[in-house]
Amino acid sequence: MRGVTEGDEDTGPKASPDAETTILFVNPVTQPGSPLDLPAGRIAEFLVGFSNKGKQDMTLELIDASFRYAMDYNFYMQNFSTIAYQQVVKPSHESTIMYSFIPAETFAGRPFGFTVNLHYKDAAGVIYRQAVFNETVNVIEIEEGLDGETFFLYVFLAACVVLLLVAGQQFLYSVGRGSRGGRSAGRKNPAVETGTNNPNDVDYDWLPRETLNSIKKSPKSPKMSPRSQKQSPRTRKVKRSQGDD
Amino acid sequence: MKSLCVAVLLLAVSGLVMSAEEDSSSQAKLLVSKQILNKYLVEDMDIVLKYSLYNVGSSAAVNVALKDSSFPADSFSVVGGSLELNVDRIPPGANVSHVVVVRPRKPGYFNFSSAEVNYLPSDEAKQPQFAVSSEPGEGGIIAFRDFDKKFSPHVLDWAAFAVMTLPCLAIPFLLWWSSKSKYEALVKGGKKDKSNKD
Repeated sequence: MRGVTEGDEDTGPKASPDAETTILFVNPVTQPGSPLDLPAGRIAEFLVGFSNKGKQDMTLELIDASFRYAMDYNFYMQNFSTIAYQQVVKPSHESTIMYSFIPAETFAGRPFGFTVNLHYKDAAGVIYRQAVFNETVNVIEIEEGLDGETFFLYVFLAACVVLLLVAGQQFLYSVGRGSRGGRSAGRKNPAVETGTNNPNDVDYDWLPRETLNSIKKSPKSPKMSPRSQKQSPRTRKVKRSQGDD
Repeated sequence: MKSLCVAVLLLAVSGLVMSAEEDSSSQAKLLVSKQILNKYLVEDMDIVLKYSLYNVGSSAAVNVALKDSSFPADSFSVVGGSLELNVDRIPPGANVSHVVVVRPRKPGYFNFSSAEVNYLPSDEAKQPQFAVSSEPGEGGIIAFRDFDKKFSPHVLDWAAFAVMTLPCLAIPFLLWWSSKSKYEALVKGGKKDKSNKD
């Protein structure tokens, strides 16, 4: 298994015969024997168990992990953090260390060589390196039900539909008013005429009906005044000229 | 008939011996992880610790005892659960989870170190196997005051703000209300007059 790894590993430190390592992927949970599928962009965690079968203390120093090109393990595709543990394991004791990493999202849907190296040393200071995991894994894409991007796309589409509806309603309303224009104008004109009868060009529209009625009923109401020409001579003149034509 | 019985007996015995041999060669192996599930470690607030024991060996682990003595009593208090766990048996391929809630008494940096586990690697084993869990590592416990500054809902502050903005809104409203009610009284009086006339 170690022969497949990069060239410098053969010249580098070897595994100690007194050490025994196991690896267990905790997240994602996998069935033993089946190929490992790592979801891209999600955290992946594994435990490395280390048993010291020798007669001297071992110190677990660090773990490094990396994605390699599946065809040629000399090519590094993604390097993960090297974590220093500095954990001492006494003779015939066991120890567990945890390592977590996130495969890059751009790597989704491709197989990679995944290599985990454990570096440790014995009491004499001899450094060992052991490939805890060295297999091809698949980085898979997570099928999400609803992510933020699609959600806001749907919100945008709904907003467009609402905008179109409002625009359509406005258009239909204006068309309807245009066709009925003559009638409505005819209905409105008298109101304007009464407005011109107003002596001082005062707009009484804003007043409530009761107040208007009370004003009309009062003896000083402006109803009497339009008879006198000096109140609004201009409007009278215009009316007369129209009548002459 | 008798010879058949003997043969069956012999087979059964040999099978037993073989399985016993297998047991002696197969051993349980536990991987123990210790995780902190909190995002923020805050003084006087809960910290949730999760211990997971995975048996990756080929035999059941017997009399598993987990003990975490890495929390000194003067700086941590256990709020829920126990820092000691005893499991009679963890079958091969099975796992056990254990959760403890602790509360730090004072802020500062704390090195969360490992818990100790010992177990018998098989039913026949006499020598217990010692193991240590993974270490969550060093974590900074922040003071509650600093945490509150960032994450409190500021209920009191908003209440004070509401009280302070009250005059600016209430005075114009009252002015409008008094004028409106005066006007309405006038209209009602006019109507009454009208109805009286009618």
